[in-house]
Amino acid sequence: MPDHTLMTAAAGDDPAEGLRAVRSLRVLADRLEALQVERARGLGWPWQQIADALGVTRQAVHKKYGKRFP
Amino acid sequence: MFERFTRDARDSVARAQDMARSAGADRIGAEHLLLAAVADPGSVAARSLDRLGIAPSSLAVSVRALGPDVLDAEALALVGVDLESVRTQVEATFGPGALDAATAPSTGRLALGPAAKKLLELALREAIRFASHRIDTGHLLLAAARMDGAAAASALAWFGHDRTAVERAVVATWAEGASE
Repeated sequence: MPDHTLMTAAAGDDPAEGLRAVRSLRVLADRLEALQVERARGLGWPWQQIADALGVTRQAVHKKYGKRFP
Repeated sequence: MFERFTRDARDSVARAQDMARSAGADRIGAEHLLLAAVADPGSVAARSLDRLGIAPSSLAVSVRALGPDVLDAEALALVGVDLESVRTQVEATFGPGALDAATAPSTGRLALGPAAKKLLELALREAIRFASHRIDTGHLLLAAARMDGAAAASALAWFGHDRTAVERAVVATWAEGASE
């Protein structure tokens, strides 16, 4: 019963499965962030505006992406 | 330990830094060292791979697929995220392949991760085993093949080559005469 297995895992009773999901969510979030920041820079957004949207400091976002998307 | 490295091997370590960064890794992994070692077509490692019928580019693809920075559709499904629909939406905005090509950023100089350190240590051990005076990219490749469970070794295994086959190819390349 593959469906049942999925449900059980989603409920989080196996830390290994749960952590694997968290790790993939992080990778997914990082990739989406990189794509969106690149696009925003391409559209001429200043670093401050990107930082505000992400809820981080301008320095943090610039340090992370400044070299890649100048 | 780098004083015994050939120029190619030293270049590989430097190149691994760039590869790790462009892959969005937070440290240099064994797989970055492996890919860096085979990047120069004239290197012992690249020529040995060639003997095994593996192109460096396809090795890179399989390393990426086996590496830690991987989107696990099954794991995401467990928390209700359908990777396929995320991919479809992202590609609608950013173009085909955008999600898979995107990499997270990394900052500053990257340190050698534990697996990369282990690989260098194994390369040194390979040099001792073969009584080699210098450590070249061939030793790096041999070391990668010995990394149990690491993406570097799994990628080689994925092509159906165990470390004996890799060793045979490297030894044959050495016999042919080093270009480094």
